[in-house]
Amino acid sequence: MGEESGAGPITFGTYEAIREALFDKDLSRTFDTRSWDEGNIRDGVVSIQHGAVHRARRRVENTQFRPDRLRLYERDLFPGVLDAWIPRLIVDGRANLFLMGEMLSVVLAAKRAGIDHDPDSIEELELLVHYVDVFSQGAAILDAKDPEGVRTLYRATMRAFGEGVVARSRVPREAAIARFRAGEIGEDELPTDILTVLLLHREEPALELDEGRLVREVSTYLQGGTHTASQTLVNFFDLWWAYADATGGAWERLGSDPAFAQRCMHETLRLRPTTPRIKRHAEADTVVAGRAIPAGATVVLDAVAANREPALFGPRPDAFDPDRAVDPSVARWGLSFGAGPHQCPGRSVAGGFPAPDPDETADPEHVFGLSALMFQAIAARRPRPDPDRPPTRDERTERFTRWATYPVIFDR
Amino acid sequence: MSTRVTIDADLCIGSGDCTRVSATAFELVESLGVAVPTPAAVEEDTSLLVRAAVGCPTQAIDVIAADGTVLHRGNA
Repeated sequence: MGEESGAGPITFGTYEAIREALFDKDLSRTFDTRSWDEGNIRDGVVSIQHGAVHRARRRVENTQFRPDRLRLYERDLFPGVLDAWIPRLIVDGRANLFLMGEMLSVVLAAKRAGIDHDPDSIEELELLVHYVDVFSQGAAILDAKDPEGVRTLYRATMRAFGEGVVARSRVPREAAIARFRAGEIGEDELPTDILTVLLLHREEPALELDEGRLVREVSTYLQGGTHTASQTLVNFFDLWWAYADATGGAWERLGSDPAFAQRCMHETLRLRPTTPRIKRHAEADTVVAGRAIPAGATVVLDAVAANREPALFGPRPDAFDPDRAVDPSVARWGLSFGAGPHQCPGRSVAGGFPAPDPDETADPEHVFGLSALMFQAIAARRPRPDPDRPPTRDERTERFTRWATYPVIFDR
Repeated sequence: MSTRVTIDADLCIGSGDCTRVSATAFELVESLGVAVPTPAAVEEDTSLLVRAAVGCPTQAIDVIAADGTVLHRGNA
């Protein structure tokens, strides 16, 4: 697919053109410039900020995604989450795979966001997953089938989120910050999460934070850290079963080779991007791949097409092949984590560092990503689709890669 | 004369991507939330420098060869 234009949005469908667009400083994600009170439910969140404010936020927030933190989550924390929760989420040998992914992912997403919860309470996890579900609808408002319904639900849920778990989580963090400012503790003794760094820096004008924006910013990280991981989990197994049936020893290899599991995650995301059609707004006249983009235009970037270019991903780009040869200059996940200033800040959390090729050995400091660990832990119990309960798509969005339920049966 | 590497601190968002490509040439200054080139950057393999510059999400890195050839020009 090449480039298209007309009276409507300008669409790009090639990898290089899309990458150029994603790096273009005049293309933003700011489609709605209204305030929260005027009806913009995304007002002020980092995802739709542009320019100086976006940079200031990312500088503060990116500190929570450093390699030492990723290793802590992957090696010390997530294995315990998987061990504790997978057995609890399987009832009579059955589970909803999507809900399982959400429940497993939200534990560390909440920790990173700075939302305290009882680690043993399934009710508290379910509440957080409910928040994630609503916030995910809000994050995908551009593709919502009922945007007004989403706005109403989102506003009410955000209020409850702010007055509930965020308010409670602020208390110990504000106390710690006060002690830090009084010189009683060092900065390295502060909690390490998004809420803490936002509270610490909230008075800096460059961040343009107010009470509402602070809460919405925290919600963005809770949602982002949960939803993509759980959708990718479901998409992985949806692709995996056919691959495993056709590939001898696939299950054993998945269980024993974390680099293979990581490439499975990347291959899943390449074929099933969370945002199949990325949208941008032209803040000023610009040029992408030689095509003039007038200020005010909407640009649509077809990540699905770009992620299947044979020149980059081989002669069978539609196939699920975790061992496919990909040039190191091209990400195995294609453009599914975005690129440029708005690239997903959590890409290394979920997807790890660039995966070793099949003939390579992972560096001792390598990070495989939480999704690979989740795939392995769930695969160890041999899930298969529940023949009596077919999966259902999330019909609230135009995004074809999103599921609502995926019932499975566990054979181990 | 050796390779010249610069990072525009106004553009950098501190993703740390450059430090993952070359921990020799780049380091993060956490108090500022940005990356800076190290003194050793001038001796780093230019292919690694260019890879880091190409991958920089805000195109904050310029790499100029010893003979003045522009190996990568960012958005500064």
